[in-house]
Amino acid sequence: MKLYQIVAKDVMRRKRRVLYAALGVVIGTMTVVGILTMAFAGQARIYKQLEQYGPNLTVIPAINNLDMKLGNLSMGTLTVGDNYIPQSQVPAIRQIADSNIREVMKIDDQGDIATIAPQLYENTKVNGVSVVVVGVDPEPERLVKSWWNVGKGNYIDGPDDVLVGSMTAELLKLNVGDTVMLNNSPLKIAGILDETGSSDDYQIFAPLASVQKAFDKDGMVSSLDIRALCNSCPVETIADSINKNVPGVRAVAVKQIAKSEMGLVDKMSNLMLALGGITLAVGLFGVVNTMMSSVHERIKDIGIMRAVGASRNQIIKVFIYEALVIGVLGGIVGYLLGTALAYAIGPLVFEGTTISFVPQYFPLALGVSIVVAVAATIYPAIRASQIRVADSFRSV
Amino acid sequence: MLEINNVTKIYGEGTARVVALDRVSLKVEDGDFIAIMGPSGSGKSTFLNIIGGLDRLTSGEVMLDGHRIDNLGENELVDIRRGKIAYVFQQYHLLPSLTAMENVLLPLIFCGNGADEQKVKTILARVGLGKRAEHKPSQLSGGEQQRVAIARALVSGPSLILADEPTGNMDQKTGNEILELFKELNKEGRSILMVTHSADIAKQAKHIITLQDGQIISKAALQLVR
Ligand SMILES: Nc1ncnc2c1ncn2[C@@H]1O[C@H](COP(=O)(O)OP(=O)(O)O)[C@@H](O)[C@H]1O
Ligand SMILES: [Mg+2]
Repeated sequence: MKLYQIVAKDVMRRKRRVLYAALGVVIGTMTVVGILTMAFAGQARIYKQLEQYGPNLTVIPAINNLDMKLGNLSMGTLTVGDNYIPQSQVPAIRQIADSNIREVMKIDDQGDIATIAPQLYENTKVNGVSVVVVGVDPEPERLVKSWWNVGKGNYIDGPDDVLVGSMTAELLKLNVGDTVMLNNSPLKIAGILDETGSSDDYQIFAPLASVQKAFDKDGMVSSLDIRALCNSCPVETIADSINKNVPGVRAVAVKQIAKSEMGLVDKMSNLMLALGGITLAVGLFGVVNTMMSSVHERIKDIGIMRAVGASRNQIIKVFIYEALVIGVLGGIVGYLLGTALAYAIGPLVFEGTTISFVPQYFPLALGVSIVVAVAATIYPAIRASQIRVADSFRSV
Repeated sequence: MLEINNVTKIYGEGTARVVALDRVSLKVEDGDFIAIMGPSGSGKSTFLNIIGGLDRLTSGEVMLDGHRIDNLGENELVDIRRGKIAYVFQQYHLLPSLTAMENVLLPLIFCGNGADEQKVKTILARVGLGKRAEHKPSQLSGGEQQRVAIARALVSGPSLILADEPTGNMDQKTGNEILELFKELNKEGRSILMVTHSADIAKQAKHIITLQDGQIISKAALQLVR
């Protein structure tokens, strides 16, 4: 028989009281776990996107601000206009990218390594509606846009084939086999893309050469997407090297752009964490309160224990053991409820994010709730241990 | 063994001022058995509380085995409660969640000397509760609960037992049984200070002192009667 066993018996006898005390801890822990789980899911989503675009670079004309998007990531402002990259610079860019990758991956093969997808953006009207036509090199474009899925029809195969984004197809009521006029050149719709959730949905994709011819932009492109071979490829180094060695272009690693989005998510997570912290602090007061009354209720018991030889420290220990029970209980329930909370409201906070529970937060929840319960108990317990024994008997 | 010199205890201030003990002096020899009588509010409980360090005096001194104990720090008082002085109360003051056995184990647990269940069983048997060890206080009669409390007082081997109306909540027969237990403990050489309202019980002690308004108004030796 040990002191903690006595506490355990006492806790069992005062179940309701203990559960009530645990409630405050549960609420605090639940909030923190809920917020963290949601933030984690939001970050996981961004990380997944990062992974997708991780090895990518974008090359744009140096002076221009191009507003364009890759997937969901905003990539600056693009003004479709006068500035273009001469296609003659592509070999130089390829040379830089490939040599960097060769070095890192220790590849000797002298063939092409990076995938380079040129794009030419042009504004035009189809059936009287303004749309952006993108001239692409079908093979590399497909590799770069790994998330593309041709829902209806086929991918671009011949020089007269076009691929239509899902929203454009819907808005303009276009179907596979229809003919569209691009600046007086008739092209045939080969396929329609599934929705991607990106600006691709609003665009029409046609073979680069056809667009160049139709808009009189021979040998010109608006941007290049470069997909390196590996996630560990030095995209920043490649970008630097291109910026230094190729005049008139600006190369950016997509990662860098994504990082600023990450920063936003981080800020949001911090804000929510601060909120959780405040909730926890308020919860702490609640717990201090219930603990105070729980201790107060037991002043007579404290007197009894001291009369039969308990020291002040032992009395405090008794209450800390009890707080541990409350903390463990609060941690388990708080973790479960917090996770449930994240499942319930996470998709509303981070739009479309699927929440999954985070096992690593369980020890965290336990730790937080134990610390809160013990912290809330120590002060009233110390106070109670200082009451004179004679007074503690009189108080009941 | 115990010497109380000029002890005064004042509660409160101003109009709420109560002189609970007024310059009380008393000597308790080893193996003494003193009954303390007096009307309600005369200071009997205060007297025991101050002797045992459950309350602090206003002035005067309390000596135990030649050492002052009224001015001891909390930790030293704990030591005294763990070996020299034990209490028995009118309301038993058992922990309701624990069995008789566990209540009696409590002083040993706090003492840190290991919870010797065999010892506790022997003591419970001795106070006549050999078959009640696993009962909770709520399952025991008043007399039985007081026996548990006495066993608890005994377990740490005190030389002085302070009992505040231990038979106050009992009928005469049960009260007498409890008194018999105290008399046995006294025969073992333990000193006993016992508050009682019953003249029949007080008569069986070795001395009777009577308190009134915080003062001892009479001391009587009863050796002749016994
Ligand atoms: N904590 C206290 N505060 C104020 N007055 C008290 C306190 N304890 C006891 N008293 C007063 O001291 C006097 C003696 O009380 P007590 O020792 O309990 O008497 P008894 O045990 O003889 O009935 C009473 O007048 C009582 O009201
Ligand atoms: Mg009294």
